[in-house]
Amino acid sequence: MSDRRKHLEFLRKTAKDALWAGDYERALTLYDDGLALARSWKDRGLEDLFTCNRVTTLIEMDRQDYDLSRLKEILLRSPSSFNGVLAAYVSANAHEARAEYDRAIFYARTALQKARELRLDELAAGALNVLATLELRQSHFPSARDLLQECLEGLDEKGMSDSREAAVYTDNLGYCHIALDRIDLGLPLVHRSLSLLDSLGARQAMDYPSLDLCFAELKRSRLEEAENWGIRALGLGQEFGRQDVVKNSHYLLAETYCEMGRDADADEHYEALADFYPGFPALKNYLHQISLMEVINLRA
Amino acid sequence: MSSSHSPRKIHLVGSRIRELRKGRRLTQTELSEMIGVAQSDLSRMEQGEYKVGLDTLFKILQVFELKMGEFFGETETPTTPETRSLFADFQTLSEEAQREVRDFVLFKKLQEQPEDPATPVPADEKA
Repeated sequence: MSDRRKHLEFLRKTAKDALWAGDYERALTLYDDGLALARSWKDRGLEDLFTCNRVTTLIEMDRQDYDLSRLKEILLRSPSSFNGVLAAYVSANAHEARAEYDRAIFYARTALQKARELRLDELAAGALNVLATLELRQSHFPSARDLLQECLEGLDEKGMSDSREAAVYTDNLGYCHIALDRIDLGLPLVHRSLSLLDSLGARQAMDYPSLDLCFAELKRSRLEEAENWGIRALGLGQEFGRQDVVKNSHYLLAETYCEMGRDADADEHYEALADFYPGFPALKNYLHQISLMEVINLRA
Repeated sequence: MSSSHSPRKIHLVGSRIRELRKGRRLTQTELSEMIGVAQSDLSRMEQGEYKVGLDTLFKILQVFELKMGEFFGETETPTTPETRSLFADFQTLSEEAQREVRDFVLFKKLQEQPEDPATPVPADEKA
């Protein structure tokens, strides 16, 4: 590997670590630097790679100021290369973030097919996970579960089950089981995911597992555990600007405190939740009377 | 799933969403447009197969504009199964039919009221 490539590979690895740790601005700066260098060296392959990585970072930041057509161009130019498959995979994520689910499915399937042909196991697993999360949004829990099991078995066979990505897929699988009321199957998976993410410094990815544990513990009426995980999920959601996590955490914490008979604490969280819905002033009163636990999907 | 949540709360479930929709005389297509989900998804929701996020759930509650007592009446509405069923049936009637039922109930109440001797009889009824 040339010194230039080594330098860019180091930049990429550092940026990826920053992204997983939740330091998005640093990750973006590093990817921008890498992209500029790749362009100045006229290295098309590295430019494509950094373009894809940069878009992934912007998606994590809930930003949409990227050019999706650049990804499609990479895919069309080199459909049977690592970069082409990566571009398809990132396109799927981008369309999912924009709530364009049919397109997301199309690109995820494209990525999966090409990744299998080229034996790119990590990208195949990533594509399966995108397809599973799209199934989860539609409450197709059994099919999401099957996709995630396939995804994790594939990684396990290749000895890649201890990665940050595998931890996220494991949490998603755990959530499927919890949603299917198999808390006994789901909880160990989510705990495993959380401890793996913690050990790998992937702090920003620990919000959903914490939320899932709060949900599961509330479902089985372990209220103190639910409270602990809910507080943790709320803190992470606030720290990383994840509005969906914050809203769900407030709801689950309020329900937990209601169950505990701690009405003042429940009120605090109902009010915080109601702040997100200024056009619905009666929200808090409704939630005091009505439980949504039977119809809520934390991934929708 | 554990069902040991607070007994004070009413659980929103698919069948209840269907009853409320019918009570408002909304078709699945109309309600699905109001809350921003596909009609097929609303159908699955009513069958308990489709779960949604908080944003959608709050849209449902807003569409129904529920009064608390209306939601199976913890306090203000009937508490026996028979009267609860009657109340649910009443909700499914058209506005015109509901008005007729109210008039009939008023008529029955007046009929059962003991005569008040102090109430003056209108002149045209004396004849």
